[in-house]
Amino acid sequence: MGYRIGIDVGGTFTDTILVQADGDIVLTKTPTSLPDQSLGVMHAIAELAEKAGLDIADFLARTDLIVHGTTTADNTMIEMNGALTGLITTEGHRDEIEIRRGFKEEIWDPAYPPPVPIARRRARFGVPERLDFRGKVVRPLDEAAVRRAVRRLKKQGIESIAVVLLFSFINPAHELRVKEIIEEEYPGVRISLSHVVMPSAPEFERTSTTLVDAYVGPSVATYLERLEQALRRAGYERDLLIMQSNGGIATAGSMAKRAVATLGSGPTGGVTGACALAELAGIQDFIAIDMGGTSYEACLVKNGKPRIRSYWNWQHRYLVGLPMLEMHSIGAGGGSIAHVEAGTLKVGPKSAKADPGPICYGLGGSEPTVTDANLVLGYINPTALCGGEFKLTTQGVREAISEKVGKPLGLDVVEAAYGIFRIVNANMANAIRRVSSESGYDPREFTMVVYGGNGPVHAGMQADDLGIRRLIVPKTSPAFSALGLVIADYVVETERSYITPAGLAQADRVNALLAEIEAQAERELEVAGLERGDLHFNRYLNICYPGQTFDMAVPMVLRDGRMGSAELSETIQCFHDLHEELHSYAVREEEPIIRAVRVQTLGLTEKPAMREYPWSTASTASALRERRPVYFGDRFIDTPVYDGTLVGFGHTFEGPAIVEEKFTTIVLYPGQAAEVDKFGNYVITLGE
Amino acid sequence: MTMDSRPDTGAVDSVTAEVIRGAMETVAYEMATHVSLTATTPILNQSNERNATILDATGRLAALSVGIPQFMLSSTLPVRFALEFFKEEGLNEGDVLVANDPYHGGGHLPDYNVFSPVVVEGELVLIASIQCHHADTGGGMPGGYNAEALDIWAEGVRFPALKMYDRGVERRDVMYMIGVNNRTPTFMGDLRAQVGAAQHGVKRLRELLDRHGVGAVREAVEHSIQYAARRFREEVSSWPDGEYESDAYVDHDPKGNQDIHVHCKVTVAGERLRVDFTGSDERPELQAWSSYGNTRGYVVAQLATMMDPMIPKNEGFFDSIELVVPKGCCLNPEDGKTVSAGTHHPGVEVGEAIALALARVIPERATPQIYKLGMPTVVVGTHPDTGEMFVDHSVDTLAAYCGAVHGQDGWGSMPATFGNLVRAPAEINESIFPVRHECCDYLTDSGGPGQWRGCPGSRYVKRLTAPASIQTYMVGIRYPMAGMAGGRDGSPNRLIVNYGGPKPREIDCMANFVPHKAGEGIEYCYGGGGGWGDPFQRDPEQVREDVLDEYVSVEAAAKEYGVLFSGSAEEYDLEVDRKGTERTRARLRPERTQS
Repeated sequence: MGYRIGIDVGGTFTDTILVQADGDIVLTKTPTSLPDQSLGVMHAIAELAEKAGLDIADFLARTDLIVHGTTTADNTMIEMNGALTGLITTEGHRDEIEIRRGFKEEIWDPAYPPPVPIARRRARFGVPERLDFRGKVVRPLDEAAVRRAVRRLKKQGIESIAVVLLFSFINPAHELRVKEIIEEEYPGVRISLSHVVMPSAPEFERTSTTLVDAYVGPSVATYLERLEQALRRAGYERDLLIMQSNGGIATAGSMAKRAVATLGSGPTGGVTGACALAELAGIQDFIAIDMGGTSYEACLVKNGKPRIRSYWNWQHRYLVGLPMLEMHSIGAGGGSIAHVEAGTLKVGPKSAKADPGPICYGLGGSEPTVTDANLVLGYINPTALCGGEFKLTTQGVREAISEKVGKPLGLDVVEAAYGIFRIVNANMANAIRRVSSESGYDPREFTMVVYGGNGPVHAGMQADDLGIRRLIVPKTSPAFSALGLVIADYVVETERSYITPAGLAQADRVNALLAEIEAQAERELEVAGLERGDLHFNRYLNICYPGQTFDMAVPMVLRDGRMGSAELSETIQCFHDLHEELHSYAVREEEPIIRAVRVQTLGLTEKPAMREYPWSTASTASALRERRPVYFGDRFIDTPVYDGTLVGFGHTFEGPAIVEEKFTTIVLYPGQAAEVDKFGNYVITLGE
Repeated sequence: MTMDSRPDTGAVDSVTAEVIRGAMETVAYEMATHVSLTATTPILNQSNERNATILDATGRLAALSVGIPQFMLSSTLPVRFALEFFKEEGLNEGDVLVANDPYHGGGHLPDYNVFSPVVVEGELVLIASIQCHHADTGGGMPGGYNAEALDIWAEGVRFPALKMYDRGVERRDVMYMIGVNNRTPTFMGDLRAQVGAAQHGVKRLRELLDRHGVGAVREAVEHSIQYAARRFREEVSSWPDGEYESDAYVDHDPKGNQDIHVHCKVTVAGERLRVDFTGSDERPELQAWSSYGNTRGYVVAQLATMMDPMIPKNEGFFDSIELVVPKGCCLNPEDGKTVSAGTHHPGVEVGEAIALALARVIPERATPQIYKLGMPTVVVGTHPDTGEMFVDHSVDTLAAYCGAVHGQDGWGSMPATFGNLVRAPAEINESIFPVRHECCDYLTDSGGPGQWRGCPGSRYVKRLTAPASIQTYMVGIRYPMAGMAGGRDGSPNRLIVNYGGPKPREIDCMANFVPHKAGEGIEYCYGGGGGWGDPFQRDPEQVREDVLDEYVSVEAAAKEYGVLFSGSAEEYDLEVDRKGTERTRARLRPERTQS
């Protein structure tokens, strides 16, 4: 096997990871280039080639796989600078996207503004047509009205059109006809069809998802094309692969057509990596924690599988109804700014980001941040990060913390810094409590897998607060999301609506839908060079009780890959059981409703071997770099600081202690102990 | 090892207080989530109609989770009644109580408060409370809204404060009695979900107390309450002193008693705020009464939206309001009066009256956060596919009643205070009920004109595909959403039943199970929100945008905003006629100020 490259483009840094044939890993961290991220990506690849001692063409010729986590879609939604977008929808449903099923984010603030519109009302047209919920045409499509609408959209200079007709996911005929008319009237305009983007009810979720797809589509497509071309020119002949929000990879060419599915692409890689790491460590239940400069992301993994969310999932103030890894994000990171508001200390969500960054970066920042507090408390090296590559300054740090936090609260500078540290930890611990309570679990039963530049500084405190007894910090923590990219599988999620009371469901209909869906998934993965034998199908029926708005994906019971009437009854039985398990009750006398057939197709990739390190013959003490005073709640303790590059398999540490890895710092608090495993990961245990 | 633990001296620093406050809000959130995960009816597990609060040993509100503001804010008084009632034997470890009675602190009967004390070494420290709206509460009619009721007893069963668990032991007789007094088969499952949530809250609060110590938690609660009170007083003291009066009206109650009157006098004196409803309607024949707890909840909900949204909603906020509601008026009825209709009207008009009174004090945030919906439109019939009865409560996707505030046009669906009630879409409902959602589009010109424009209401058309009958109660016809600070009123509600049939009919008060044939339906033009500020102050370019987006017609732009155009919206060459606009505004302005 040749090289494998994972590239995770973040807001501040582009993290890359190179996995070599023997499992050896090379990390780089280079600045993200804006506005054209592909320049930064190519720069990072050049740096990897250099580290491998090859020219770039030679290097890429030996590369089997490049997987990319991109933030283009997220950035477009953050900046709200996507395409000029229009909407054609069923008459009478023009304003669903503004009405939002009644949802507003801020219930106490009537002056809270609406989201920036993706398609303004003038660019939204209702056309006469209607299907009933079984897909039967109750009002034919008024083609003349469609033509009028398209001409008006053209006149407005619209660049991308979303088409969302009611019940199109049951019968797409009208949407397909609208597409033909658009192509005739306005050739070249980008089109997103709702039954393709999100083939399921209900209409608000589908409208919002399709609009987001139409809006980010052109920028995602342009970016991916540019990057693919740059890679081709540099000598890479394979398909560029992209991480999707559902945790699987797909070819760049197919993602350009389903742009909305690249939302959350980057952080998703981290969870994939955490799953692989946990599996090697024999851990089934864990919380993956990623703390960077501006945000803190948590994902709960039970039985080795991350939770997937496909309903009521708000992203950048729009609802996205595709299956996405369930990540919870709060504005807490190293750059989060501390301030005092009417006598109360608050930290974040505002961030100093990378520019100007924390005061200690010396780039002109003047607001005290979490990183500044960590510096005063001695948790991070007061002179430099990244093994000396990134210089820090202490100038103005203590003064600012004193002035902006200490004085208003009557605290000295250390107490104030420790206050910042405690508040940000409490915010993060509360976020985890919410994540776990939403899924009905007690966080104490979980391990924490911690990564991101700032995660390992704080995790020990959060774990203690939550009653979590074990943490794992991967050796590759700072570029962990990039590592996850190279070990992901292909995933195709497909769904077909099939609405029927369970008692009237026909097994043959289910079989026919399965065949149709699987053939489509095969075609999609053929492009990636996968054959039927490489594919694994997870088949589900989406079922709910009458009156429920959200349904549940129930794994199908099949005999020899086929559904029969006995298997159908067994599947329904499983629904009752699963409902009871997740919601603590089942209504077995009630006849459930089947809503859809869903298949998750996995195209399994060959995984690189994880590099195993030999038992270190050197003592832990040989990795000791220095000692410095570090504040642990009541006083400064003279604390050993270890050089992470000298740490190896079998080394053990007793807190208080600090390990400085190249791009991150691990803080062991008093009473905690760490051991380095054969993969180079730090396994931290907390005393009772 | 716990680095944050301190000796339990009771002295708490401000950072610890903030840590404890955040943790308590998280516990409230966990309790609400527990109900969502375990309740058995959709209204609780999917629409967010559940509200969790944490109170201290004296029944003061310490923390709450995000639910629907009005309901969150009416959960303290039932707990206080229980504390008073059980003074002798006390609330003991393992007790779980239920209360729903409007005359013992509650809002209306379908809202059940379930609460449980946290006791440390024999001493009551905190109370975890969770309130849910139930689909039935016994009484003369199913569904908890008996518009025909003669008195409170006909509206449902009253539970002033009942121990369902006594020191950790379930009282089987009590649970059985509660169960047989309810029509909904899933009711007991929901009630048990509430009990589970309260117990979960107690467990989490106990952990919090173990971690930080009783003294520190008590002080943190005090700190948070004082903080809210201080912030409240700061806001009030920035308002000009004076007495500010207002009147708000409800068209009629379900029996047709006209012009139900809410009178409000707000007195600002330094940092003190007094809200007095003396002079409000006292007619004994009224059907619609708002219980004291309900009235108080709306007072707080309205004031909260008019202040810094970051002020914690706890007892410090409540306590800072001097509230006067004379016994016997429609906002604090004598025991026995019916409250199910009054919970909404004149209940919400409390908020309207406060906004109107304070319009001269803090005009920029004075917008009523209310609704003019008498009751949901209920569709009852026999489902042709199953042969079984169906009831569609029409909690559908639509827009109505969302007023503008200074700097922000009304937008979206409903006022911000309904932000958590998730509404039903066509593609789900049509597969459940024999109905077709034909339209919920904004109605052009229905948003009240203003410097900031009210959000339009929806033209909502629902067609029946099988015979059914329709029940509803209309308000907001003569008294639509008020315009503020010179802004114009939103459009009134208008309902046509038997729409699309040979004899369509407009409803002026009640539709009492009006029969509909298949193919007929209703057309409900929901009222728009009120505008804010003089429409002539609206930037003509903004009016142009509104015309292009068909929120406002060319005609209304001229008539209401005094804005004239050249070109046309059809051709996208619409331009503001600056000179013409200036002339029109100058010419019309005197007439308008006179009217």
